[in-house]
Amino acid sequence: MEIKNLEFSFKTNKVINDISFKIEKGKITTIIGANGCGKSTLFNLITKNLKVQKGEIFLEGENIKNISLKNFAKKVAIVHQYNTAPADITVEALVGYGRLVHKSFCKGYNEEDEKLIEKALKATGTYSYKNKTISELSGGQKQRVWIAMALAQNTKYLLLDEPTTYLDIKYQIEILRLIKCLNKEFDITVIMVLHDINQAIYYSDNIIAMKEGKIIGAGKPYDVITRDLILKTYGIELNIEEMNNNKYVIPI
Amino acid sequence: MNKKTIFSFVILSLMLILLFLYAVNTGSIKVTYIELIKGIFFEHNEDVSTIIDLRLPRIVISILSGAALAVSGVLFQAVLKNPLADPGIIGISSAASFVSTIIVAFFPHLFFFSPIFAFLGGIVSCVLVYSLSHKGGFSPLRIILVGIAINAVFSGLTSAFSTMSGEEFTGASSIINANISMKTWEDVKLLAVYTIIGLIMSFFVSSYCNLMALENKTIRGLGVSVHKLIILISVTAVLLASINTAIVGTISFIGLIVPHLSRLMIGNNHKVLIPFSVILGAFIMLLADTVGRLIAYPYEISPAIIMSVVGGPFFIILLIRSDSKYGN
Repeated sequence: MEIKNLEFSFKTNKVINDISFKIEKGKITTIIGANGCGKSTLFNLITKNLKVQKGEIFLEGENIKNISLKNFAKKVAIVHQYNTAPADITVEALVGYGRLVHKSFCKGYNEEDEKLIEKALKATGTYSYKNKTISELSGGQKQRVWIAMALAQNTKYLLLDEPTTYLDIKYQIEILRLIKCLNKEFDITVIMVLHDINQAIYYSDNIIAMKEGKIIGAGKPYDVITRDLILKTYGIELNIEEMNNNKYVIPI
Repeated sequence: MNKKTIFSFVILSLMLILLFLYAVNTGSIKVTYIELIKGIFFEHNEDVSTIIDLRLPRIVISILSGAALAVSGVLFQAVLKNPLADPGIIGISSAASFVSTIIVAFFPHLFFFSPIFAFLGGIVSCVLVYSLSHKGGFSPLRIILVGIAINAVFSGLTSAFSTMSGEEFTGASSIINANISMKTWEDVKLLAVYTIIGLIMSFFVSSYCNLMALENKTIRGLGVSVHKLIILISVTAVLLASINTAIVGTISFIGLIVPHLSRLMIGNNHKVLIPFSVILGAFIMLLADTVGRLIAYPYEISPAIIMSVVGGPFFIILLIRSDSKYGN
């Protein structure tokens, strides 16, 4: 995925200001930034939920504005921050929705669909409770189900908007490990937005730091994270420590 | 389908059949069931003919309109993501009623097409409600508020028209009062044709309704256009509600009560919920009509009035419950 001179405004307020970057294939790229820096808008633009006003977004060489919603969903799976589902739908039925894009509406699932649904359930560790209903699950389990649904789409790209929000630390780590594992095992290119700087450093191959609609730092976490960048990004001076060949921010 | 669902379907169907048999033979004329069957299939019988000509049409109309309004309610609730949506409450029915009143009054020869005009009225009202209550998503409260306002305007226009014309158009005033006691087999035919079309359409959109329970962004992420879903489901819902209004009149709350009870009994899967609401809607409407015929005999109370008296408190209970559910 490649983004060229992207600009976006809400009325007169420029939220995205001339952004260009390239996403490395097969890697995990994380977008970080303070509240209101434009990262959510950027996420909505690259997921086709907002119309590009200026600039271009390319997916495998094709401008995404020329890709139909259906064809886009065959290439890119998205997990949004906030999700709802009917309380009494089973995990398996919900994950099955991920196959919608590959079939016409009235037809049932064929063998390939069944196989991919099972694969998605197993890869996310949701197979053991596939017959439970959504209302019976914990927050962490639900998040796994949404990831499983995205996985059932069988795409090369997985985009996640703050996948760890609302979760306890244990589930946060579980979800991030799962994402890392999916990236390695199925060679899926991951782009996500994260709130926690240290989690972003630890689990990402590349980091994009944003401020006021601009990119102020991009690259490998070790190269990008500096005292100065943290100050610019979040407006606060924090200490940075080195540990296991990586840098971590002390958030106190 | 699990056992509980099948059981619910069987029990409810039996109840509908029993109620039908009871309703057919309740009122000023009474015959035995043997006489009834003989009268229908074998020999002429004065009493049975009266029942067939006067009582049976209203019973069939109750069944059809109950089914249509219940399904319309299910569809509106799905598409607006709002458990309080009902074609009567959000003003679809009153707009349809207004248009069909005007048409019946000025162009009586277009009677057979009045459902189509009512449908157009319903669509106009639907577009108004949607566009006025949409601000980056449908807020459940705003839909109800805008709907109430639109409902008030169209009901007012209809009443004003009726009063100005000295209530001389009996056809018009029967639509306003939802009086089904004078319905004929002509009305039944008309209602049946459009209702069956609408119900078949609703079975086709049932899987779309299931999808609507997800967040709009998530639906788009699955490669499905949310606008397409909204248009297809809404057109079906408006069709069912407005044809019904054109022939029967405005009946509120049935589209609210039936889907809610159905969900409690058999869950949220629309592939089951819609057929179940068809039967439960028919049952409750026929019950309201039968009770209305009996409760103040020999006077009759319209099923619309029964539904309002029972439905009002029910709506308030739902409102309070949904507050505690969504009010975070």
